[in-house]
Amino acid sequence: MHIPDGFLDITVATITYIMFFIFGAYATKRIKDTTIPERISLVSVLAAGIFAAQMLNWPLPGGTSLHFVGGALAGIMLGPWLGFLSMSLVLFVQALVFHDGGITTLGANVLNMAIIDVVVAYFIYRTSIRIFGPKHSVRATAAFLGGWLGIMLAGVAAGLEIGYSPSFPFGFWVTLPVMAIWHTILGIIEGAITASTILYLARRAPQLISSEAGEAE
Amino acid sequence: MNLSRRALIAVLALVFISPIFGVILADMAGFHEPLDLAAEALNLPDFTENFNWTPFLDYTVPGLPDEAGYIVAGVIGVGVILVIGLGINRLVKQR
Repeated sequence: MHIPDGFLDITVATITYIMFFIFGAYATKRIKDTTIPERISLVSVLAAGIFAAQMLNWPLPGGTSLHFVGGALAGIMLGPWLGFLSMSLVLFVQALVFHDGGITTLGANVLNMAIIDVVVAYFIYRTSIRIFGPKHSVRATAAFLGGWLGIMLAGVAAGLEIGYSPSFPFGFWVTLPVMAIWHTILGIIEGAITASTILYLARRAPQLISSEAGEAE
Repeated sequence: MNLSRRALIAVLALVFISPIFGVILADMAGFHEPLDLAAEALNLPDFTENFNWTPFLDYTVPGLPDEAGYIVAGVIGVGVILVIGLGINRLVKQR
């Protein structure tokens, strides 16, 4: 889902960079005000894990492939602010060191994978735990839905961003269905991986799921 | 063994098996993301190769075969992330 250089109109690239900076400034303030320093070391360890997991591409029948994105896992484990920081770190290194995702499109890639995916999954998980309680069945369902919907909405956002082009008016009517349909399917696998990872952590190291403790708010 | 060390060993294990999925199977299947399909529909231009600044483009390392380059690129990526993470740690602890 990494948008390369050349795919975005200058207006969209600028707007998405502005959204990235505004969210980033607010997230930094929240991290400074509320974060326990011990949590910070988790940011880079999780970022390293997500970076490595994204290198595993799984080919699918029909000529497409998928890789785990990880924004939902970051949102649920670290909350929206540190989750954003962790995913942004992954996207920065991918763009700057490996040119995976463009530099002009970094704002859009951060918006889709480090903001939308992270926040959607965090919100679904946190709300579900609050309403239904911290049971394994709730954790699994909420993490699955968070992973699935997070990727689906991130895909929809990417479809809208690349579909907006002055040279192709209403291009998003072409790109949006492709991105929405594919990511609705691929999101099921993202949801399954997110749910199994969260269930594993809930059993072995529940202190790592900060969104359950309310620390992330 | 502490949690971070165990996590890092798992991360490096992922990096070492990554060429099976990221290079060999991807080449066999013809790597294609939904984003590429959407971009093809509008004929959007990809400037990645014309406007490049890194020797490690697409997780390759100059002079190494793709499979070995993918592993080395993975180790470089993990290393850069951890070094930046150490910097963030220091900044937070200084405040």
